Amino acid sequence: MYEEFLEDIAQANRLREVNTYLKLIAGTGAILLCLLSSSYIPPLFIALVLSGAILFLAGIDAKTYGELFLVPFTFAVMSVAVIILLSGGGEVYWSWSPFPWLSLSLTSDSINKGFFVFCRVIGGMSALIFIALTTPLIDLFIVMKQCRIPEAIVDLTMIIYRSIFMVMDQLVQTYRAQLMRLGYSSLRESIQSFATLCGSVFISSWDAAEDFIRAMDARCYSGKFVVFGETRPVEAVPTILVGAFLAVSSLVVIATQGVALI
Amino acid sequence: MHIMEGFLPWQWCLVWWIIATPCLVFGVYQLKKVLEADREALPLLGVTGGFIFILSSLKLPSVTGSCSHPTGTGLSAFCFGPWVTSVICAIVLLFQSLFLAHGGLSVLGANIVSMGIVGPLVGWTIYRVLRDTRVDMYLTVFLAVAFADLFTYVVTSLELALAYPAEVGGIASSFILFLGIFAVTQVPLAIVEGIVLTLIFKYIVQLKPDILSQLQVFPKEKITSAGSVA
Repeated sequence: MYEEFLEDIAQANRLREVNTYLKLIAGTGAILLCLLSSSYIPPLFIALVLSGAILFLAGIDAKTYGELFLVPFTFAVMSVAVIILLSGGGEVYWSWSPFPWLSLSLTSDSINKGFFVFCRVIGGMSALIFIALTTPLIDLFIVMKQCRIPEAIVDLTMIIYRSIFMVMDQLVQTYRAQLMRLGYSSLRESIQSFATLCGSVFISSWDAAEDFIRAMDARCYSGKFVVFGETRPVEAVPTILVGAFLAVSSLVVIATQGVALI
Repeated sequence: MHIMEGFLPWQWCLVWWIIATPCLVFGVYQLKKVLEADREALPLLGVTGGFIFILSSLKLPSVTGSCSHPTGTGLSAFCFGPWVTSVICAIVLLFQSLFLAHGGLSVLGANIVSMGIVGPLVGWTIYRVLRDTRVDMYLTVFLAVAFADLFTYVVTSLELALAYPAEVGGIASSFILFLGIFAVTQVPLAIVEGIVLTLIFKYIVQLKPDILSQLQVFPKEKITSAGSVA
């Protein structure tokens, strides 16, 4: 439950060696194009291409990829249902006014709008998951330094990154011990166990952090981390692929302007 | 509860980024001041960030069957103040979108405003008002945390309603409908989060009260008396 992060998958994916900027441009470019499009087709096109890239180029297991979509899907379905019921316009198929200030209706325009938002979420999520699965955060730190983001933020980011794993070890051990002792057998029990778990983890992390600063002081830490590392070279084939993907997607965005479902 | 990638139109993404940015800049300024005053605060801030991250990636004992998770921002808000919390929160939200595919990049601004700025600000205000009164310390923690969580969700509903106003009744009825739908999961969640974080707080008071007096979270007498009673 607690052990698996996208980070572990990202460390081992087959696109790891591709230049970080290229992957970021592909991902953020796709997000922007999804937002700028006015039809449901471009987001679906982007989702299709990026899913292909994730499954076949990066070699991510299809089951893992599918599971990542579950949570956003439930949220999207709920929220899109609200959008469809609230907005109106076009041909009215069904309508109901339970209160004077509220009118729920199912119209052609509202279905178009809801479906469009739903597709945009799928497109955006696939672009986000593409970045998450192909780019380990370590590579992002180098990018952050090169982009001259204030040092205080970069340092804090790296320490938070480090402490996530520090806290995680403690958490998994304690959680397993509680689980073996039936600590989560009822709701009341679960709340009590969960609070004890978090409390003990907070305290042990605090201790670990104090040890951490002492160890760093002993190594002449002056308030600044030095990040070594260089971004990988920009190679021809990935550059052409990313360029082609963004160009074709932009063309799709332009060509499908205003195309609606119904 | 995060808005996910692609859900808001680009105009609204931009608006929330514009609102979030000055708060973050002020937060970074405060962060630098905190670090200049006490260098040891850096790893502690880091642990808080890691802790918020872990807390929000944990699934709470399921109340409604939905994926509900605590935000953990309340605790950080009264340890470090709301502005520093907003910076920590922004980093945590970035990590969540890249580690767990929760939230997103274009909607990060909107999520920062709801979870990182308004939520902690409300929690911190409640804490500041009640801190020096005779109200029980644990009740103060509970109220601050629960309201921080509730307002996170109220602001999220407002963000959704502004982007998608209703045909009849406009933003107001859309807001009420979003609020109503998410109330099913968020109201019990806010109460459970309040209870859980209060218990965590109680545990810290019992075992390591020096952390709290070091950060001057509550007057020293309050902590010592609570610790000795427990």
